[in-house]
Amino acid sequence: MRSRTRAKTSFLIAGLFLLAAPVFAHHAFNAEFDAGKSLRWVGTVTKVEWMNPHARFYVDVKDADGAVTNWNFEMGSPLQLRRQGWTRDSLKPGDQITVEGYPAKDGAKMASAKKVTFADGRTVFGESPSDAKPTEYKQQ
Amino acid sequence: MRSTRVNSLASASKLAICVVLTACSALAQNDRGTLTGNVTDQDGSVVSGALVQAKNLNSNAVYKTTSAATGDYRFEALAPGSYEISIPSFGYFAAPQTVVIEPARTAHADVHLTDTSLNTAGEGRSFFAARNGTHPTPKGPAPRTREGKPDLSGVWWPPRIVEPIAPALLPSAAAIVKEWEATNGKGLPSARCLPNGVTMLGVIDLNKLVQTPSLLVVLYQVDPADYRQIFLDAREHPRDLDPSWKGHSVGKWEGDTLVVDTIGFNDKSWITDTLPALFPHTEMLHLVSRFRRPDLGHLEMDVTFEDPGAFAKPWILKTVSDLAQGEEVQEFICNENNQDPEHLIGK
Repeated sequence: MRSRTRAKTSFLIAGLFLLAAPVFAHHAFNAEFDAGKSLRWVGTVTKVEWMNPHARFYVDVKDADGAVTNWNFEMGSPLQLRRQGWTRDSLKPGDQITVEGYPAKDGAKMASAKKVTFADGRTVFGESPSDAKPTEYKQQ
Repeated sequence: MRSTRVNSLASASKLAICVVLTACSALAQNDRGTLTGNVTDQDGSVVSGALVQAKNLNSNAVYKTTSAATGDYRFEALAPGSYEISIPSFGYFAAPQTVVIEPARTAHADVHLTDTSLNTAGEGRSFFAARNGTHPTPKGPAPRTREGKPDLSGVWWPPRIVEPIAPALLPSAAAIVKEWEATNGKGLPSARCLPNGVTMLGVIDLNKLVQTPSLLVVLYQVDPADYRQIFLDAREHPRDLDPSWKGHSVGKWEGDTLVVDTIGFNDKSWITDTLPALFPHTEMLHLVSRFRRPDLGHLEMDVTFEDPGAFAKPWILKTVSDLAQGEEVQEFICNENNQDPEHLIGK
């Protein structure tokens, strides 16, 4: 009887760690964004909100029919981005960019940005280990 | 001559010992197994610098190594048996897997990180790994106050967990965890700019401790940008506490250890201090936190969690924080532009 109880407890503990995956700093990623869809958008930056809890930028994206949709991209907080070497001027309205990220699950024109690349190939706000920058933590 | 003979005997003895030791060593090696694997992320990119842990499920012995630039990791001379492979660092996550090690054989277990949540620009894996990893700290003894007590004041990196924790949950608490899992953690309080965690130190960002003889103040930078007061003036807990997010804390010195007793929590906060694992609690939560500053650069915090409404028995979280020299806590107004709540749909 005792061993059965112990086995059940172990199972419950193991289950907890499965929950951990989608939860991070500020909110639960998988409750909002679809991690199974890694998408790419190309367009023109219309606005940057260097604000908390998440910095955001907005991009006009033109589809195949020429219709333009304004997408809202979420990043980390300005404190986090600054520590990685980026400032509120790193991205400006008018910049032509390619964004990689994950779309919102609720169908809103919103996404979590993973990587931003300028037309000339420079990368900002990138995180993948293969990115040129910034992958290294910078001590202030 | 005699001397020579003695030397010869000594040499012979040494040789014999060496032969035996070598044989034993070889035997020992043949008795052991090797484990290798590769760490990749959700995009298939190799992940370097990931802490990989192999836990012997019979002896509970824990072995740790770090993945190389190629993403490869390797454990050698493991005793045969079943091992649980996991990624214990905050900022990395992989579902634990079990692998069997056999004598004189090499087992292989690739690890696929599923830390999708940590790939948001600015909140990426390397950011959290750096923040929650070890930092260079100045050498020297812990500073002391005029009263002769250790001075805990300073700006500190967030606490990192020293030993894995495994609290035994009561069925009611397990049911809550199940619900969190079913909804992808959409109710995490910090998503609505409410407090993250229950211990005295902020979970994911800088803490600034300001110590006076009668009061220890903790200023958190993020989630929330808030404070905590620990009263050191020998007062008792109030008798009729309204449950609150941070509870009521009183502390007293036991030698060079500051022992802080906290009660009066509400049941709304989540125990995120144990990231990447999360636990619920009830209003019966009682924390006893022991702070030590063993040297200039480190702050240790051991917290005993007691909650007869959530846990089968008390359990201890052991953490250490590095001094964040040259750092300062900064403004973080969470409600400035929090657009997430209406989009947190769960599944």
